[in-house]
Amino acid sequence: MERKLETYLQDRPDIPDEVIERLLREARPMLTSALDRLRRPLIQVAICDSPLGQLFAAKSAQGLVALRFMESDPVENTMQTLRQRFDVIEDEQLADEITGDIESLMRGDPAAVEARAVDLSLVESAFQRRALMRLRRVPAGSVISYQALAAALGKPTAQRAIGNTVASNPVPIYVPCHRVIRSDGSLGNYGGGPERKLQLLRAEGFLVDRTRRLPRDAVYGHLGSRIFCRPTCNAVRRAERRTWLIFADAQRAARFGMRACRLCHPA
Amino acid sequence: MDPKAKFNLPPPFDEALRCHEREIMRFILRATGDREDALEVFQETWLRAYRAYGELDSAEGLRPWLFRIASNLCLNRKRDRARRARRVADIEANGEVAAVIPLHEQALDLKAMLRRLPHKQQQALIMRKLGGLEYREIATALGCSEEAARAGVYLAMKKLKAE
Repeated sequence: MERKLETYLQDRPDIPDEVIERLLREARPMLTSALDRLRRPLIQVAICDSPLGQLFAAKSAQGLVALRFMESDPVENTMQTLRQRFDVIEDEQLADEITGDIESLMRGDPAAVEARAVDLSLVESAFQRRALMRLRRVPAGSVISYQALAAALGKPTAQRAIGNTVASNPVPIYVPCHRVIRSDGSLGNYGGGPERKLQLLRAEGFLVDRTRRLPRDAVYGHLGSRIFCRPTCNAVRRAERRTWLIFADAQRAARFGMRACRLCHPA
Repeated sequence: MDPKAKFNLPPPFDEALRCHEREIMRFILRATGDREDALEVFQETWLRAYRAYGELDSAEGLRPWLFRIASNLCLNRKRDRARRARRVADIEANGEVAAVIPLHEQALDLKAMLRRLPHKQQQALIMRKLGGLEYREIATALGCSEEAARAGVYLAMKKLKAE
């Protein structure tokens, strides 16, 4: 008996494969339809070796969901959040795409970054989503203050909320939170470190120096009238600070569709 | 850090399903010994696995994790059965009895013997001898130490041999 049992257990699975197959055929349709009701959206993730260091990227069918500077943000946490809400798979190709986008951005061509869709489903509130989408329209080579962004959303006193929103931006670089600065002209902080903010702004032609003050030929573009002025222009001093977008130079302001001030003749 | 750092993610769920559905079904069928129960537990196992898939944090952990879910559900089922059997014994007696899959005699013998084993020993034995899992994997699946898994299989074998 002993010998028999041992060999029996090891060598002869007692349930024939056909039985299992038959059961599976029966179980599958039921399981599939039940699973379909539970399905989470799919996202691809990758680690990209970009000119800005290693980045963790996640992309859904709608667009880029998350981007993280890996040295300042442990991937495990992000991954955990993502996996609660999405089915996650790895995708090498995404790494190449993102790296390509950022390489061309650092060479001064923001087109690829601007063209890529972002998916803000990690952002909880509608106001925050609106703020981030508005921020996407701030062109490369310009900056905006927290206050100005709040004003552009029709909430001129919401600069704190904007600060929080920008700080928790799930898709930095693509939603250009590095283009948001303080109203006094200093650069403020950045998720990937202030050095990176400087690096990004300089790559976009916004030539900030080490003291992190605005560049010398910066011009102020008025969002309402679409006129741009020198920082010293009376119009700038008179108008409220919050309504200005600051461009690296006059050409960029003109390219954005603004006209030069007739009082101070910038450029 | 390795520039091509990998996440050690478990495979996409559908792939996991494709790879393991057979052995899970076999395991469940063996543990429940009943076709209808097996179908239900199988479905429940994969639905639960899907819901909790985000919490599984490594690729190696997948197999024992699936077995663990299946094993716990089998135990629940057994408990429910016992409870129901006590309450509605007479209804079951003249009602329809769940169709038992046709197995050859040896298998029926084994099935009856397996059913008499305590849950943990039974599961350990099935996983080890019929499912081919490592003791390490069984330990994870049953939530016990590797030694306990080993002991479980040993005790189960001893009991079976005694019969």
